[in-house]
Amino acid sequence: MEIFPAMLSVITDPTLLFAIVLAAAVGMIVGATPGLTASAAIAMLLPITFYMPPLFALAFLYVIGKSGRYGGSIAAILFNTPGTAASAATQIDGYPLARAGKAGKAMKVATISSIIGDLMGDILLVVGVGFIAAIALKLGPPETFAIYFAAFVVIGSVIGSSITKGLASAILGILIAMIGLDPISSEERYTFGSFDLSNGIGLVPLMIGVFVLGEVFAQMESRRKATGDVEENESEGDGNSLTWDEYKPCLPHALRGGFIGAGIGVLPGLGSAIAAFISYGEGKRRAKNPEKWGKGALEGVAAPESANNAVSGPSMAPLLTLGIPGSTIGAILLGVFLIHGIQVGPTLFLTDKELVYQLFACGMLGILAYGFIGYFGATQVAKLILKIPTNVLYPLIFLTAFVASYSARGSMFDVTVMTVAGFGGWLMRKYDFKIAACVISFVLAKGAEETFRQSLLMSDGGALIFVERPVALGFLLLGVVAIALRVRGIMKERKLQGGLGDA
Amino acid sequence: MRAYAEGLVLTAISLVALWGAWRVPGATPGDTWAGIVPFSASLALLLLSGLMLLGASQQTASGEDKTDHAATFEIISLFLIALIYQQSFRWFGYLLPTAIVAPIVLYMFGVRSWVGLALSVVICPLVFHVIFFELLGVFPPFGEVFDLLDWIKG
Repeated sequence: MEIFPAMLSVITDPTLLFAIVLAAAVGMIVGATPGLTASAAIAMLLPITFYMPPLFALAFLYVIGKSGRYGGSIAAILFNTPGTAASAATQIDGYPLARAGKAGKAMKVATISSIIGDLMGDILLVVGVGFIAAIALKLGPPETFAIYFAAFVVIGSVIGSSITKGLASAILGILIAMIGLDPISSEERYTFGSFDLSNGIGLVPLMIGVFVLGEVFAQMESRRKATGDVEENESEGDGNSLTWDEYKPCLPHALRGGFIGAGIGVLPGLGSAIAAFISYGEGKRRAKNPEKWGKGALEGVAAPESANNAVSGPSMAPLLTLGIPGSTIGAILLGVFLIHGIQVGPTLFLTDKELVYQLFACGMLGILAYGFIGYFGATQVAKLILKIPTNVLYPLIFLTAFVASYSARGSMFDVTVMTVAGFGGWLMRKYDFKIAACVISFVLAKGAEETFRQSLLMSDGGALIFVERPVALGFLLLGVVAIALRVRGIMKERKLQGGLGDA
Repeated sequence: MRAYAEGLVLTAISLVALWGAWRVPGATPGDTWAGIVPFSASLALLLLSGLMLLGASQQTASGEDKTDHAATFEIISLFLIALIYQQSFRWFGYLLPTAIVAPIVLYMFGVRSWVGLALSVVICPLVFHVIFFELLGVFPPFGEVFDLLDWIKG
């Protein structure tokens, strides 16, 4: 019930409302611009939010993340270029609809389904988060470490096609986080005598480097591979309007997608792209017209769009209750909480409950804001994006990355870290290592280490404490099972490919 | 070949990480060793790099890896510019390096308008300076050798 007074306090604050609408518009433009991601925008804007009140900063970035997910569908439907990885599933049916002169209709289905999915996710978050936090308060260090362990393994092994590279990316993130002074004994680790390194690697410069500068390097590379200009597909005749009869068959797919997205959102590391593809596959399997899917079925837009956006809210549950970010956006938001001196974890619901529910309220209003802008102005947003000269945009982003990383702490060392992280991020992308796994593990590592060492102290150095406690053992086994299932899945896929190859 | 290179680079990183973890002093009685997590993570990485090398040795040769050398050269050039740019903040403050780097990066991204490039020399440092150092109140980096901002302010 805390959400109602929180909603009232947000609605009565015009400045906050303005920030939400602005964030919705910014997120949509960023998400719809091929090559730009909501993570990059949030990382770039992060230093600016240092100077804002905590709720204002969190709401602004949170709504950009939500709106950015939706914005990806604009590029997928209108330009046949998914603005985000999650909107690639929307493209399958969205682009054929646009080619058939029904771009406006497809956009409206995407908008309504996104709103349904996102609101479902947020409502489930509001209902369930207090319950998870209450359970989390009862967990001791061994159980918390086991959850961290499961998160590392799931994040490392599930993202991408190579388990080895995924896990290696996660370990690289852990090793980077270990640079600096040990928080317990104050011993230096990986500092090699450097005073700057003894302060550790900052989250903000690392994020800006990996997501912003790394993206500029990637764009420089893809510039050479570009084959031509992107063209927008206009709507013809009644292709812009959507009737209830047309949306009615989409509704069950949107609702199912909402539940799929919400379920996947709670699990760290899986993300919107997986939710969108699972929802698309499940929708096609249950559809009355599966033959039309892939050729321009409105239901084929509704199913992935709803799931893609439903991930957003529930992915905040592990972040707020356990301090485990489920996505890169969650990892950046964790940084915002820490910068403003707010400790994320189960105690957050005792110390800053009001702020958390106000943030949820801002998220819900953000959904309505991007829904309104998208329903009536998606095609105008698309036209605006076509006018953005990318050869000017990326150099400006390049310059912003430097000044933004400096502004975080006024430290020149942070700028160096950002530059190196940018090149490292590009190398990781190029060689198929998983940046998301690396960044999320970087954020998780300190908490995991603390709980691991606390557990060892509790048991006088014995590792059996993790096996003797059933909840801890359950989560450790979950990690092992996740790897086993992933290996089995990959083996099956290879066998199938081999079989097809033989045929 | 590429898989071997990836495995070898990871092996090198894990060996350096192991060496770094080994240098962490031992724990005092009743405490845990500060190097336990870095050491375990480095060992795990060494194991994974071993698996990658093993996988590489079992792969059949599938022709030459296609690499766009021109694109790689451009990115390395941009990275070098980035390194020099961030270092030059320490020597010349923010304004002068930004005024020089802005047109170079714009040119690298394909801007060929001489007027646009000339305008970027003034507009880019000015706009970023106003937003970050005036409006947000961040203290600008001071150039040890020569600071244009210092000179402008007299």
